[in-house]
Amino acid sequence: MTYLVPYNYLPQQFQDTEALFNLWRPVLQSTEFTLGPFVEDFEERFANYIGSEYCIATNNGTDALILALRASGVGLGDEVITPCNSFYATTGAIVALGAKPVFVDVDNRYQIDILDCERVITKKTKAILPVHWAGASPDMSLIRDIAQTRGISVIEDACMGIGGKIRGKSPGTFSEVGAFSMHPLKTLNVAGDGGMVVTDDQDKFLWMKKYRNHGMTSRDVIEFWGVNMRLQPLQAVVAGHFLDQVDQYIARRNANAYLLDSLLKDLAEHVKIPERPKEFVETFSLYMILASHRDQLLRYLVENGVEAKIHYPVPLHLQPASKNMGLNSRSLENAEFQAKHLVTLPIHQYLERSQIEFTAQLICDFYKRSHFTHESSICT
Amino acid sequence: MRIPYVDFKPSTESVKSSLIDAFQRVLESGQYILGAEVSAFESEFAKYCGTEFASGVANGTCSLHMLFRALGIGAGDEVITAPNTFIATAAAITQVGATPVFVDSGLDFNIDPNLIEPAITPRTKAIVPVHLAGRVAHMNEIMEISKRFDLKVIEDAAQAVGSTYYGKKAGSFGHASSFSFHPLKNLHAFGDAGMVCSNDRSTVEKLALLRNHGLADRSTCSQWSLNCRLDEMQAAFLRLQLPLLDRWTEERREIACFYNANLAECVFVPIEHSYEKHVYQTYVIRCKDRDDLKRYLNSEGIEALIHYPTPIHLQPAATNLGYQRGSFPIVERLADEILSLPLYPGMPTEHQERVVSAIRTFYGAC
Repeated sequence: MTYLVPYNYLPQQFQDTEALFNLWRPVLQSTEFTLGPFVEDFEERFANYIGSEYCIATNNGTDALILALRASGVGLGDEVITPCNSFYATTGAIVALGAKPVFVDVDNRYQIDILDCERVITKKTKAILPVHWAGASPDMSLIRDIAQTRGISVIEDACMGIGGKIRGKSPGTFSEVGAFSMHPLKTLNVAGDGGMVVTDDQDKFLWMKKYRNHGMTSRDVIEFWGVNMRLQPLQAVVAGHFLDQVDQYIARRNANAYLLDSLLKDLAEHVKIPERPKEFVETFSLYMILASHRDQLLRYLVENGVEAKIHYPVPLHLQPASKNMGLNSRSLENAEFQAKHLVTLPIHQYLERSQIEFTAQLICDFYKRSHFTHESSICT
Repeated sequence: MRIPYVDFKPSTESVKSSLIDAFQRVLESGQYILGAEVSAFESEFAKYCGTEFASGVANGTCSLHMLFRALGIGAGDEVITAPNTFIATAAAITQVGATPVFVDSGLDFNIDPNLIEPAITPRTKAIVPVHLAGRVAHMNEIMEISKRFDLKVIEDAAQAVGSTYYGKKAGSFGHASSFSFHPLKNLHAFGDAGMVCSNDRSTVEKLALLRNHGLADRSTCSQWSLNCRLDEMQAAFLRLQLPLLDRWTEERREIACFYNANLAECVFVPIEHSYEKHVYQTYVIRCKDRDDLKRYLNSEGIEALIHYPTPIHLQPAATNLGYQRGSFPIVERLADEILSLPLYPGMPTEHQERVVSAIRTFYGAC
């Protein structure tokens, strides 16, 4: 169906096909199809943009996480602390290295619960993998302090954080290595998969660069066993193109998000908007609120033309994949509660004020019409 | 005159007009992840290879990696393969925590089936024959051994798309097979891409799950995994090229035939048997004074390469596997004798003649 307020904005963002052909033509003519100058150019520009010394572009965000974890020495049998409300790839990357994900709960901003991290640190804990979930951020300096005191590493999942800021500093730059994604629905995106890591550590940079490309030091010498997680040059030029526009996108998304916040303010009984600290610039990769009667609301929105979604209905520790590995032993109440009440609303950069107003109006109508009793309120 | 090892401009030229349409189609679809192009290419490629199923992956390395995972091969297991291939074959084995066990090759560059059986231990789980340079390995013998010892056979068909053995296509013999569409392959993407083929539905279904985060649906992760999806755009390009592949292969074979006829008196040329069709992903000769010949050709502007100068068991990465010089005499000898000559569809006749005359001059045969 065609939505009045669609979630997917790709046909709009990529509608200037001529501009994209012009980006691709030189790549096709050069036949530089594996790494090479187009990828290097993007890496340099991204490192600059984000404020890191080095950037290594990968085939996707999952690969970036794997690369970052490996570079930080995470391996077989290590424990890695991570929030239970991320995209599957965060945990997938930990498991891919033979390490064990240790899930922690989340706070009222849907970010990793830092106090809970402290509770689960053991001798086997090698790293904390916090997530800049939804494009907001946890308090990274606090996480860094804890990690430093306890002698463990921090690796950031900043897959949704491109364009965000914490006190002026970018997500992904608060730890040894930060990982990013350029999946089509990320703030900086490509027409397929893409990702990257950033670091200031030269040794890690050099190691990761080799690991990404078969462990090669030259065409004929393989220093160690590596993999192929190269960013496609055809995607590197797309990424470079949108990098120039990402700050505008973020500004638009913020305007829409804050507009929606203000329009939903009077529904406090049914709708809970997370706190948005002033010193954080969020990317609003996902605009999420908690809502009472969530499933009915979702249906109502979708039926009336607003493409709302849920990220995600089942937290990571309750997934079949976790149960199979015995990773579901602790109950993580905040995340479990949120999974039942979260709804993601479209606020992307191509939505007009009227579409945001329409969304807010539908939500107001829904709660007015339904005469929900007070005990069903989200605030109880 | 510079004679490059490979030049894809002539073959790219033949799809150029349709490229823009493919770009446009994908961009307008708004579906850039595992969309219609990937599924269409999967069925078209499976049909081409003569297997029932296929699943697109990000590259030829992760296709092997994902296959090992799908087949439950992991820590403590051994996988038999050849040491004279691209590093990725062995690296993918180590990636799942298994150990590569190498077996020497024959003079045809492919794994020597007579040496496989002595390498089998109780820990052996699979054999990964590599169809090196574009020629199918000795699959009758290999399949027979695999049945006798209940081992899985995973063909590394990265270099052999379209080649046949007793009338059957590369990639259709084993339990499953792995393809690469790296830019230098006979069927190539404009970037990285790969494919897994199999007649076993459950293996391919498992693989399709593993390549996409283990997601059974958007909200259900049935097994923690990673992302190694075939790029939608690359799939669209590959679909344009697949119908031209057989024609390109014939061109390769004609050039190989020309080389064979004119070089056989100076060097060992690849001999093709009546039961096989070689696709010459690389045209590899064995020769005396290889390094001098290579230098001479380079000085004549002819780009010749070595695939590969250092066998995997002698790479720094393989130190922990405990092999040494002398472990695989044939492969080591070949590493000193082999040379890959320029060969690609659309290679100008004049270039082919120059290659021939330079080699003949070098050996004083003209």
